Amino acid sequence: MTDPALSGDTTSATVRDTPVAGSAAQSRSSADETRPRQRARRKHRGAAVIWAVLAWLAALVFFFPVLWMVLTAFKYERAAYTDPPTLWFSPTLEQFQAVLASGVGTTLLNSAFATLVSTTCVLVLGIPAAFALSLRPVKKTKDVLFFFLSTKMLPIVAVIVPLYVIVNRIGLLDNIWTLIILYTGMNLPIAIWMMRSFFLEVPAELLEAASMDGASLWTAVRRVILPLVSPGIAATALICVIFSWNEFFFAVNLTAVRAQTAPVSLVGFITGEGLFWARLSAASTLAALPVVIAGWVAQNKLVRGLSFGAIK
Amino acid sequence: MATIAYQTASCLYEGAANPAVDRLTLEVDDGEFIVLVGPSGSGKSTALRMLAGLEDIDEGNITINGKDMVGVPSKDRDIAMVFQNYALYPSMTVAENMGFALKMRGVPAGERRRQVEQAAELLDLSDFLDRKPAKLSGGQRQRVAMGRAIVREPQVFCMDEPLSNLDAKLRVQTRTQIAALQRRLGTTTVYVTHDQVEAMTMGDRVAVLKDGKLQQFAAPTELYDAPVNAFVAGFIGSPAMNLVPALVTSEGVQLGESTLPLERDRLAALHRQELSSVTVGLRPEQLEVVPAGQGIDVRIDLVEELGSESYVHAHLVDDRGGASTRLVARSHRRAPGRLGETIGLRHGAGSVHVFHPDTGARIDGEEMSARVGTGV
Amino acid sequence: MTKHSTLSRAEGWRRRAPLLPALLFTILVTQVPFLLTVYYSTHSWNLVRPGSWEFVGLQNYLYVFRDSQFREVAMNTVILIVGTVLISALLGLGLALLLNRSFRGRGVVRTLLITPFLITPVAGALLWKTAMFDPVFGIVNFVLQPFGVGNFAWVSQFPLATVMVDLIWRWTPFMMLLILAGLQSMPEDVLEAGRVDGAGPIALFRELTLPHLRRFIELGVVLGAIYLVNTFGAIYMMTSGGPGVESANLPFYIYQRAFLGFEVGQAAAMGVVTVAATIVIAMLALRLIFKSFMGAQEAA
Repeated sequence: MTDPALSGDTTSATVRDTPVAGSAAQSRSSADETRPRQRARRKHRGAAVIWAVLAWLAALVFFFPVLWMVLTAFKYERAAYTDPPTLWFSPTLEQFQAVLASGVGTTLLNSAFATLVSTTCVLVLGIPAAFALSLRPVKKTKDVLFFFLSTKMLPIVAVIVPLYVIVNRIGLLDNIWTLIILYTGMNLPIAIWMMRSFFLEVPAELLEAASMDGASLWTAVRRVILPLVSPGIAATALICVIFSWNEFFFAVNLTAVRAQTAPVSLVGFITGEGLFWARLSAASTLAALPVVIAGWVAQNKLVRGLSFGAIK
Repeated sequence: MATIAYQTASCLYEGAANPAVDRLTLEVDDGEFIVLVGPSGSGKSTALRMLAGLEDIDEGNITINGKDMVGVPSKDRDIAMVFQNYALYPSMTVAENMGFALKMRGVPAGERRRQVEQAAELLDLSDFLDRKPAKLSGGQRQRVAMGRAIVREPQVFCMDEPLSNLDAKLRVQTRTQIAALQRRLGTTTVYVTHDQVEAMTMGDRVAVLKDGKLQQFAAPTELYDAPVNAFVAGFIGSPAMNLVPALVTSEGVQLGESTLPLERDRLAALHRQELSSVTVGLRPEQLEVVPAGQGIDVRIDLVEELGSESYVHAHLVDDRGGASTRLVARSHRRAPGRLGETIGLRHGAGSVHVFHPDTGARIDGEEMSARVGTGV
Repeated sequence: MTKHSTLSRAEGWRRRAPLLPALLFTILVTQVPFLLTVYYSTHSWNLVRPGSWEFVGLQNYLYVFRDSQFREVAMNTVILIVGTVLISALLGLGLALLLNRSFRGRGVVRTLLITPFLITPVAGALLWKTAMFDPVFGIVNFVLQPFGVGNFAWVSQFPLATVMVDLIWRWTPFMMLLILAGLQSMPEDVLEAGRVDGAGPIALFRELTLPHLRRFIELGVVLGAIYLVNTFGAIYMMTSGGPGVESANLPFYIYQRAFLGFEVGQAAAMGVVTVAATIVIAMLALRLIFKSFMGAQEAA
């Protein structure tokens, strides 16, 4: 990475030296002058390289377990259990095939269904609510916002018992719609706060300008406001996807077989007598992949979602 | 107390085609107030930041009191800087802001407090010492930024458009305060602005920059009276100098139907350069409004009434180059004419400026060029 | 006057209409169950013993406070949250500082660093339990081999600590992102002013950067704590709370009581106690979020 920069430096140094190359005395003095500059530059660059190497090392340490999981997923079981660990191996798709054959595919579909439907519900409920709490605020906006936020502060465990009792009584145990409703409730406050922060970035004059131009409120929102906040909607949706997909507590307690989600399907791998690491890794990889991609795509807005829009 | 010298100093931004500052050479005397002025992108701020150690000096060098500053970090240059957005430390009170540099230098707290209070008094900030910057008005923040600079008695003040965030009235007020303060402290000051009025009123000398290159470095009146090229001519003065293309005739230059006579040696210079047309520069106050037919005939496009005077915007009636030649004249009379009316404009006091039509360089007679030729 | 007020009432409802569905839904899904939790907590009720429904007043709470296991679990919860939050905030600060300068591949490095936060928690926990911490085949012991560590059984020797390692691995990226956002919102000219004022790199960090980051670190700490209260999957997968309750936290213990012991009344009482205990950090978090949101409004 330093090569082009270094060569650039030498050319500029020659250019610099050319005009004064006439007399020996002059060129010597110019060499004296350039020395501290080059030294300063090199120190600069040397430090930068060290910091970059450190950053890369840290990234590799943190990413290594994930990398190892993915590598193991392509191993035969005998290559997964070795001491020392095997780095070079002939890859196989056997584990993925086995995992999918064992019914993990269904759980992935359940997860996808619960995630997508609940995220849609969150957006349908949350976007109008966020609008009513930002651009055309209702009275007591602050109290309502406070209420929404405070529901996220409530430990989930505080509601699981009655939820179980209710769901059991109305026969919705092991039903994917139960999870959809709960995930919608879980993500709605985040979505409202996050969407609100996007709405607040839209100048309120836009609505006024649109209404002066003769647009109805609905038209103004649809044609002027929504296009402006659409990146925010996408980011909000991705955050909801991450949280719903990874959810485990509700899923493990309220589903059994039919509505089992991908994270819960991993439980099966710790209850068997022997652990099949390669197969487990394949299942984990499949279960983790969708959100990892969603998170990578949404990484610039991740902070905003996690902090309820408090940090841009 | 310091002298400053830029010696063919350049600053190159990575990936940019042209240097941000291109072989700048300037010498600033001890105690002098110099202004770097130019349009945005002219490299004036970069030149200042090179002095402050915030940009690399990629070629050439900058000396303070003869000491080479290449590779010397900001903190060791003994320079104070006032930033455009003031850059006050938001977590510190006014007193802490002003005393920060002293603290960094290891000055004991009591001594620090004394010096800060002294500076605060000078700037009328004594009542705000315990406030945070967020609780101050724009003008107060500006004064805190000034206070932070003066409290440490640096060798050099660097000021990067320190007035641009104030409203018009406060700006004029603060302008005179800064100039007075600088005279009183006698600290060498380099001041950057894009506002030519600030440049003219504040600077002992003014350096006009464009595209990273120095155009002219001279006292304000000299910039005004003898701009070295069409760019400086158009940049300094408000409303701007009229710069119009004109044909060279045997007696002078022809504008519309009338001819503006030129001195013999300037005509000689034009003929020596074999120029058939030139760019003529006339300041608005050099044009008098007269009845039609008594000068250059123009048609009025707009009259700006300022109360004490008025500006007539007009275009040449008989213009061979189309209707694009526009002129502005200053009149001391009110309502010198109505929209669409044809009037005459006559060249009054002061000599006509003549510039090369392609390079924009000033064309003078022999003795004139000897006087202003040192500018570049 | 009357006309004006009726008009504004209609306008008020028009403004409120988009909000109501979300509000009603949230109340239904979160508040009603919680009230039921409070109600259940005053009853003795075992799901598998039919007809065991009986009002017992505050007896469940008495039982909970006398339960030494509950106290141990509560302590575990505190250790888990405080330890994870502090360590990951420190690591996150370090990583954020590394990432706050431009170098080749910074985007990739950031992408790699946030991945642990995205990995499905149960998958991550399994990964640490098996491939990383396994006594014989685990990577951790392999890496530590040169330091004389043999086939050490990390998960069974230090169950709570290993859970914490997984959580720190997961939450460091969160802290890093928050602190990095803070660093990137640091005005460049303030740092330049500091440099001109004679501050070296360490003084700049201590006097200017750290005070600016305070709000972001505080927010990271309280939000991290709020999210970490709900830790469940990691414990479920790695240790099942064991041995005994050595590595159980409140959610896991309540889960055990409710779904393995079927003691609904007691589990509900514990839930209420958990909520009461988290109210302090919850209020802190609410205040911080509101403060930054009010600050943003002032600026706008």
